[in-house]
Amino acid sequence: MKKKGIALLLAAAFAMSMIGCQGAAAPAAPAADTADSSAPADEAAPAAGGVEINVTTTFAGEDGNAQNFKDAMNAWCAETGNTVADTSATSDETFKTRVITDFETGSEPDVLFFFNGADANSFIEAGKVVSIDDIRAEYPDYASNMNDDLIADSLVDGKKYAVPVNGYWEAMFVNKEVLDAAGVSVPGADYTMDAFKADCKKIADAGYTPIAAALGNIPHYWWEYAIFNNGSPANHLEIPASADDAIGQAWVSGMNDIKELYELGYFPENTLSATDDETFAMFTEGKAAFLIDGSWKVGGIVAACQADPEDPATLDADKLAKFDVTYVPGKGDRKATDLIGGLSMGYYITTKAWDDPAKRDAAVSFVSYMTSDEIVPKFAQHTASALKNAPAVDESAFNPLQIKAMSMMSGVTSLTGAVQDLFMGDCRVSTFDGMPEIVTGKVDAKDAVQEGIDVYQAQ
Amino acid sequence: MDANIYKNKRPVIVFLTPAFIFMIVYLYYPFLKNIWNSFLEIKQLGGTGSGFLDPWYENYAKMLTDANIKTSLINTLIMMLATLVFQVGFAVILALMVDNIKRGKQFFKTVFFFPIVISATALGLLFNLIFLYDKGMLNQILELLGKSELTDWKAEGIAIFTMMLPVIWQYVGFYFVILITGLNNISEDLYEAAMIDGASRIQRVFYISIPLLHNVICTCAVLAVTGALKVFDLPWTMFPKGMPLKSTFLTGTYMYYQTMEAKNVDYGSAIAVLIVVLGVLLSKAVNRIFKEKDY
Repeated sequence: MKKKGIALLLAAAFAMSMIGCQGAAAPAAPAADTADSSAPADEAAPAAGGVEINVTTTFAGEDGNAQNFKDAMNAWCAETGNTVADTSATSDETFKTRVITDFETGSEPDVLFFFNGADANSFIEAGKVVSIDDIRAEYPDYASNMNDDLIADSLVDGKKYAVPVNGYWEAMFVNKEVLDAAGVSVPGADYTMDAFKADCKKIADAGYTPIAAALGNIPHYWWEYAIFNNGSPANHLEIPASADDAIGQAWVSGMNDIKELYELGYFPENTLSATDDETFAMFTEGKAAFLIDGSWKVGGIVAACQADPEDPATLDADKLAKFDVTYVPGKGDRKATDLIGGLSMGYYITTKAWDDPAKRDAAVSFVSYMTSDEIVPKFAQHTASALKNAPAVDESAFNPLQIKAMSMMSGVTSLTGAVQDLFMGDCRVSTFDGMPEIVTGKVDAKDAVQEGIDVYQAQ
Repeated sequence: MDANIYKNKRPVIVFLTPAFIFMIVYLYYPFLKNIWNSFLEIKQLGGTGSGFLDPWYENYAKMLTDANIKTSLINTLIMMLATLVFQVGFAVILALMVDNIKRGKQFFKTVFFFPIVISATALGLLFNLIFLYDKGMLNQILELLGKSELTDWKAEGIAIFTMMLPVIWQYVGFYFVILITGLNNISEDLYEAAMIDGASRIQRVFYISIPLLHNVICTCAVLAVTGALKVFDLPWTMFPKGMPLKSTFLTGTYMYYQTMEAKNVDYGSAIAVLIVVLGVLLSKAVNRIFKEKDY
């Protein structure tokens, strides 16, 4: 009898622990009567305190705005009494997969800072995020400080969902120490691909690596510009119907341009086996001259010039002065000053949070705070924003590389979105992950492009 | 002694039911669902898919022509052989050596077992620094020894060996502990009798220790072969996406690549089925080859 009792007790304890686990994972029950969902919130007024919202952004890791996000988030929490469960992570394919999977499995965050291109199609199609217009129906001031014309339309239904904060650009960073050693001057607005190749030769002859890029890991930036260089700002966002049509041929030529640079030995010797971090370290340590990357890399370069990457006070100004940012060499109908860039991300409020009376106000309040006229300029810095009344930039608040970036941006003749944001998912595999096979000649560039187009058309 | 406990099955059922339900929910149902998913077209994890593939067995037909599957299988086979020969082999040698010393046995047991308790991802990052092209530990040592050119330890051709080294190193301690336990179970009387008969230390190893370790070595061999099929974290940390040139894919890393990176969830499911089938067949084969003996 005693043994039976112990057995039942243990079984009951095991069952209770399982129930306990389930309970912990389940979303918290809405707090009764803490918020009136029918009453539009005053944007200036903080949401009722005590609510925890789940937020996922890409402001993490080496992102230049990671600290700005933490500061702004903490300020919002202090102001409203709410809390944030922050699950931000570095933006990469794994992050995108995690977010999409969270939506598929019903564990999406309440507020999401994510891409507004094809990456968002699946959760918009499933109705899992709320459009800006629907939010404005109840909160008329929501994102009213933004220029709607600059907010991207969804590729699914043409509605606007994501409130942008900071824009981005992709340009070419240079290590002036390497250029000086090779007798090459910093490229300007009229830089061409032929001049670039000539400079690369001089740099290679001087014993340095001309281009810092890990083709086996992150070929994205070269992929984008190589295609752009064989097209124009007018047709860059067109997806080819076949590798044989005009756009398709431009894509194939782009891949072959990268192959040519590889064969000339201008990429690092271990470009097929190195990670992006390794080649970036080559650039910051004065072993490579050119780095094509995004505006977010400004923060990474500055951090590499600090004794303590977390502490701006430890910045080595002399080291930072060796870096500059300029235009990507042009070719054909694309001028060097025609850059890839735009407002590709923004804050979404999920339907899950919107339908939860306890969280709706807090989610709206959070996004309103993060996209306010005071916060956006801190994030936008040397990039664009969608603010109607962007305040004048105080250059004294920026470091020398950010100021150089602003100067470079002032000479930009056009900003075009990245076609890889439209040509997303597994259709990119044959030319992204397959880049090493293309440059080594194991796979023909035309076959790789056609394979990607076939997958795109089957989607 | 009350024999009623053996007749009354209810306590047994009460204890087994939660574990059985747990296995159904978290192992058998996902496994069957995975088989089902391998016939559907699924582009997002957690998604229900957009219907059956055309033909429904497309993923399995694709495996026959997929060069990366061939690479993964060959690499996994090499990994299995390397684990058998080096992991179990080194573990046997170390266990025999440690068993023959009088002092410091516990020290060596701890030292050899230690890599097991370190996360494979942390080890991957550690070995990344060792094999780093520029300023890596190995290349710096070679530079000190007078080598002027850097060696790319992750280049095509040698990458597979660079990947295997830490995997083998990490698990030697695991088999070492199993084998040393097996050696402890051998009666001292046998060694004493052999000594009286004039057997040398080497003879005692070859005629007593190794024969009596046969069954333990067999168990280690089965564990090594089935374990090699599942290796994932350390290779993925060191060689993501099968870098370079997709030459370092293992069945586990290729399944992950297809599911998480290439967004071919259905094809990833089919590879998972292949891994299970291979695991069952290989463990059967290994069990048959290394048949345990009754003493």
